[in-house]
Amino acid sequence: MSEEDWLRQDRLPHIFCAGCGNGTVINCTLSAVEQMGWKRQETVFVSGIGCSSRAPGYISTDSLHTTHGRALAFATGIKLANPQLNIVVFTGDGDLAAIGGNHFIHACRRNIDLTVVCLNNMIYGMTGGQGSPTTPMGGLSTTTPYGSGEPAFDLCGLATAAGANYVARWTSYHVRELTRAILTGLENPGFSFVESLVQCPTNYGRRNRFKQVADQIEYFKSHTILVEKAARMREKGEMIPPDMILAGEFVRRNRPALGVRP
Amino acid sequence: MRLQIDERRCKGCNLCTLVCPYRIFKPGKRANRRGIVVPELDRPERCANCRLRHLYGRTLCGTCQMICPDQAISWKEDEDPVPKKVAIEY
Ligand SMILES: Cc1ncc(C[n+]2csc(CCOP(=O)(O)OP(=O)(O)O)c2C)c(N)n1
Ligand code: SF4
Ligand code: SF4
Repeated sequence: MSEEDWLRQDRLPHIFCAGCGNGTVINCTLSAVEQMGWKRQETVFVSGIGCSSRAPGYISTDSLHTTHGRALAFATGIKLANPQLNIVVFTGDGDLAAIGGNHFIHACRRNIDLTVVCLNNMIYGMTGGQGSPTTPMGGLSTTTPYGSGEPAFDLCGLATAAGANYVARWTSYHVRELTRAILTGLENPGFSFVESLVQCPTNYGRRNRFKQVADQIEYFKSHTILVEKAARMREKGEMIPPDMILAGEFVRRNRPALGVRP
Repeated sequence: MRLQIDERRCKGCNLCTLVCPYRIFKPGKRANRRGIVVPELDRPERCANCRLRHLYGRTLCGTCQMICPDQAISWKEDEDPVPKKVAIEY
């Protein structure tokens, strides 16, 4: 089997805008799932509502496209009802951190055996570009026309504090690293959280000085710094520029997990 | 093997032109029937990673295929490989 077999060919091309990073993260996730050697009949993709949450609709396994913010609640139900199933959740930043914030922290606390791939485009893409809890300070959106004045959520920090077993962050530029991180998440028992920053050229990019799709990809390339390097810099008392994206693995640990196959 | 772009899926975002170390992909010049300017392949047989896939039995590099948000890039067998001199680029 190859990655192509995991796609519902008859549904492609998908509805994502030209250059939307969601498609790239689907590729990385399917590549990781393929490397796990999972069977299609034993794999379920779950999502909430949003552009990113349309992803399971293009995958040829059973899937659940649920209500806004509730993907993790449904996924928890599936896992507890049948621990034999492998579950991957696709979710957007609004879906996970705004309306679904409580489900997120409690899924981390329970440390339920799922892998969550968060496609963080720093905006509400589907509804026309409203600010989300991850819109960076100064970021322009339809609800923050003068630049967001609130600090953004650090989703990886949140997942770590709430108790997830595996937490990592990459971007849609870092396809190989992202695939490897998702693979590690799939292998790791307990709650695995992989955040991927993605470009949303239509609603985020064009409002925030990224005229071309490539501009935001170049930004991801030049503005990421490895967690380890950031730690070394902090030790030396050097300043890490505030607009840098911390990337890499934040935690990998073995807290007791729920729903792990006996 | 060599690369091909599926014109039915490509939306012309040009991300492939950004990542390839061999610069196999070049921004296209003309819009197709659907109004999309699909990138052009510049002598795809130059990519050693594509040529050596069979020998190694796995994907080498493949960054272009991974980053393509529209699942439009794939490999096809070279139909009757004509012996041709290829300049090796490092
Ligand atoms: C209960 C409920 N509230 C609000 C909405 C409207 N709504 C649909 S998608 C969306 C935002 C999705 O944003 P995000 O999760 O970041 O996904 P993206 O589209 O950016 O990938 C909202 C608010 C809804 N569908 N249901
Ligand atoms: S609005 Fe943004 S997130 Fe939604 S499909 Fe378009 S580019 Fe992607
Ligand atoms: S496999 Fe790598 S080197 Fe070959 S064409 Fe694709 S991006 Fe370029």
